[in-house]
Amino acid sequence: MAQACCGPSVAVIQFPGGNCETETARALAAAGCQPEIFRWNRRPSELDAFEAMVIGGGFSYQDRVRAGVIAAHEPIGARLVELAHAGKPILGICNGAQILVEMGLVPGLSPDAVEMALAPNKMMRDGHVVRRDYYCIWTHLKLAAAPERCAWTRVFGPGAVIAMPLAHGEGRFTASDPGLFDTLAANDQIVWQYCDERGTVDDQFPITPNGSARAIAGLCNPAGNVLALMPHPERASWLRQVPQDLPGRYGAERRAAAGDFEALEGAGPSRGLFGSVVEEVRS
Amino acid sequence: MAQKPALTARLFSVDQYADDEALAAALAGHGLGLTPFEARRVAELLGRNPTFTELHLFNAEWSEHCSYKSSKPTLKEFLPVTGPTVIQGPEEDAGILLLGDTGDGDRWGIVIAHESHNHPSQVLPTEGAATGIGGIVRDVDCMGADVIGVADPLRFGDPNGANRDRTRWIVGGVVDGIWQYGNALGVPNLGGDIVFDPCYDDNCLVNVVALGLVRESRIIHSRVPEEGRTEPYDLILVGKPTDDSGFGGAAFSSVVLDDDADEFNRGAVQVPDPFLKNVLLLHKANEAVRNAAFEAGVPVGMKDLGAAGIACCSSEICSSGGFGALIDLDRVPVALADMQAEVIACAETQERYIWAVPRTFSDTVLRIYNEDWSLPDIYEGARAAVIGEATVELRYTLLHHGEIVCDANIMDVTEGILYERAEEPRGWDEAEPELTFPANLGDVLLRLLASPNLASREPIYRFYDTEVQGAAVLRSGEADAGVIAPVPGTKFGVALSVDGNPRYGRISPYAGGATAVAEAIRNVSAVGATAVGMTDCLNFGNPEVPTAFWEFRDSVRGLSDAARSIEIKGQPGCPTPFVSGNVSLYNMSAAGNAIAPSPIVACIGVMDDYSRAVTVQLKAAGSALLLIGARRDELGGSDYYQVELDCHGAHVPSVDGAREMAQNEAVIDAISAGLVRASHDISGGGLLVSLAEMAMGGWCHGTLGASLDVSAVPFAGEPVPADRERVAKLFGETSGFVLEVDPANVAAVQALCAEKGAVCALVGQVTEAPTLTVTDGAAVLAQVAMSELVETWRGGLTAALA
Repeated sequence: MAQACCGPSVAVIQFPGGNCETETARALAAAGCQPEIFRWNRRPSELDAFEAMVIGGGFSYQDRVRAGVIAAHEPIGARLVELAHAGKPILGICNGAQILVEMGLVPGLSPDAVEMALAPNKMMRDGHVVRRDYYCIWTHLKLAAAPERCAWTRVFGPGAVIAMPLAHGEGRFTASDPGLFDTLAANDQIVWQYCDERGTVDDQFPITPNGSARAIAGLCNPAGNVLALMPHPERASWLRQVPQDLPGRYGAERRAAAGDFEALEGAGPSRGLFGSVVEEVRS
Repeated sequence: MAQKPALTARLFSVDQYADDEALAAALAGHGLGLTPFEARRVAELLGRNPTFTELHLFNAEWSEHCSYKSSKPTLKEFLPVTGPTVIQGPEEDAGILLLGDTGDGDRWGIVIAHESHNHPSQVLPTEGAATGIGGIVRDVDCMGADVIGVADPLRFGDPNGANRDRTRWIVGGVVDGIWQYGNALGVPNLGGDIVFDPCYDDNCLVNVVALGLVRESRIIHSRVPEEGRTEPYDLILVGKPTDDSGFGGAAFSSVVLDDDADEFNRGAVQVPDPFLKNVLLLHKANEAVRNAAFEAGVPVGMKDLGAAGIACCSSEICSSGGFGALIDLDRVPVALADMQAEVIACAETQERYIWAVPRTFSDTVLRIYNEDWSLPDIYEGARAAVIGEATVELRYTLLHHGEIVCDANIMDVTEGILYERAEEPRGWDEAEPELTFPANLGDVLLRLLASPNLASREPIYRFYDTEVQGAAVLRSGEADAGVIAPVPGTKFGVALSVDGNPRYGRISPYAGGATAVAEAIRNVSAVGATAVGMTDCLNFGNPEVPTAFWEFRDSVRGLSDAARSIEIKGQPGCPTPFVSGNVSLYNMSAAGNAIAPSPIVACIGVMDDYSRAVTVQLKAAGSALLLIGARRDELGGSDYYQVELDCHGAHVPSVDGAREMAQNEAVIDAISAGLVRASHDISGGGLLVSLAEMAMGGWCHGTLGASLDVSAVPFAGEPVPADRERVAKLFGETSGFVLEVDPANVAAVQALCAEKGAVCALVGQVTEAPTLTVTDGAAVLAQVAMSELVETWRGGLTAALA
């Protein structure tokens, strides 16, 4: 927290029905940002003063019509689109990711068009649907794009494998044109993919826990300043948040820290997303 | 008010009915559960025939649900409710237990409330379960607390029994209701439990527990503050516009369910709305009002609307402060035109609260809700509105369209009514069965792990958001209790467990109560937390049936004796207190099948250092496996008897307070000292199932195996035949723990146990090879591949519900 004085100011957008603003702001602060929870009905122009924005998780407007669509068309939504086009870093987490897709910012290939959807989970294995609906589980993610491709991944090493939990009912990136994903891959817009603890990407359940195309967990826009991410980095920003029995490196680190309060209150596997925006704004 | 309005002419003429039968029929015709005696009593208290609003008001206030008219004397007679860990006992909507010092002269309190939503969930599972959460989080919120967790103890019918289709529909619907409401609201699920038993075929149990975090100095009480004597206090209603949903809900909770009345009953179930609740509760509008009141130094009261809506809430918030109330129902924001006064007053529309604030502060409250948080813009008809005031005169007066529709002594309204019920003991005929040791032990273990009551709960808890708020330490499946670190930047840990075994209760209601307490305390001990208090939800049959009322009384005796004999660690002479609870009676079908006595206990454990909390999963090959607690001939009510012999037996696990304390305290001390790698209590399925679960790990991430030598397992009590002894050692559910300990630390753990007087024995090892091996000395009794155990256990519940 030593650098909190000079870290970037980040607006955490609070829509009615949002439910992660408090811990998202806390995680941003721990990474060195200066967060402020920004209520949706404030004057949109007040957003201009912030250096970055995060739209957190929740059920904005009760997922009326479909997840994210109402929030995307609020006056504050229009301002966010302008700021995104102006290059401000914007991260959408879970419902925030759904909102960014509904705004047309992600994947953002054709201006202002909604090109894809975050569809209801459909857990697939060997051609069979093994489960549907809401799912909450810890998962591993592999950095599929170059770290400098996206404003929210700069501090990670190439191919980094991190862990964080997801909890959603509609997290399956899908598009009516399957060719879209080839374009996104060619553009290096597929930023995070679901993988096992060794970093092996697999689009089948349980590694990809929602049926998402190409095992996509996070997608950025062509400019790389906007990231739509379904899992929750604010829930993996401290080592204490990692489950002890999680396979792989992070569970082992968590077990080794039993009784070590300082270590547990230190950085978790996903703090780097918030840390990246500190670097991004500074550079 | 210049001129007192006149009493409405719409009266119910109690005095025109000479005989009870005709009066009962007339009352029932109006959807009222009041007995003829009670209706006449209302008229007597008023000194005239009641208005319909008054009749509905007393109908709700005198329902079992609101008045505890059958249960209150028993609860007062037995349960311990005070002690050094109690900040607030069971006098309001929720109790408060001490977590620890804030470091700035204040204390952290853990708010806990526990309710049932059984009947609504039976007729409309999704809505019933969802409003169960909606109601319980309001109880915690209105104490001024942040809501930090929920848990659901669930009891369903036999998934393969006579009512299988309905049972499956109810299971699916209840789980949907829990996740749809809790996840959207933004409160993490901390656990819960599920038991299937044919006694719930016609009457599921959906209990719900909620926790909150509050600074002691910031507790808000459910009463008009004393300052109301010297300055005017407004009553502000906030939330969803009042409609006719849930009208009659309190009375509905207090009747025997009748299949033929399903359609009518559905109308008594409320409509949940987690979205509006989120805007009010989750670090949003209510918190803004609390902070504004605190900063302005304004004393306020707050209470949530539950049973009987505005009438119950407004009368109780005023009377508990020693005030009366004057309310104008025309000022209540409504969702429907032309609602009758009694519907506005008594409907149970969800997502509403009443604030009692000084009139000088009312505009601030209205601005926060209606402008800062734009309630009217985000939800049609939602808003905050002043609906009346607290009065020094102890009357409860409701106005509607310029007429008085209720005018009663407020103490008469809220004081309730009590009944002395007859009790008649019932016996238990079944004896212990003859036992031979099973020829294929491995198959027995697999059948147990596949059984609906022991199979992994993962297919269900993956629907629940355990991670929101970012404070999870141990989640569902990982350990015997859920643990969170609710105060960022501090070492405090809070553990929650819920327990209650209907099979023990069926054999002995007393044992059902005592074992629920002992197991709930044991489960928080198993993660390393010290139990500081409990809540109870007492689910029983019809109290007007003497044997059913005896079952209730006997269970409460069991709860009380166990709570008194298991003292708080480090607080000699202090029972583990009950700080809140709920009684749900009339749990039976129209066919007359009462449920098994089902007291369900939730226990709060506190950790000074959450970083020491341990999971059940085995961590290192070569570790020693220590059994804490000798085994006994106590297979009664066990899963072994149910799955293998289809019987109950008679010898339920005993609860000996001194033994429980010794075991629990030794385990807590060993965990706190960092001597324990994994820990699991022994409960359903006994020692062998506990060990299998440790090897698999709660989320089946285990990669190791384990060996167990039956000959090393200590057995206590009267000698029994060799076969019975071996079965009891492996499958008896006598209290105890299995600990995984580094061989270098075995002596230290044994010394801790010796110091406390707990039995501790080295019974096995953690093995590199992924098999579970049971031996008796040199003889191998079973050897099962871990992969086979995992597949069976993980798939058991899905298979049972397929």
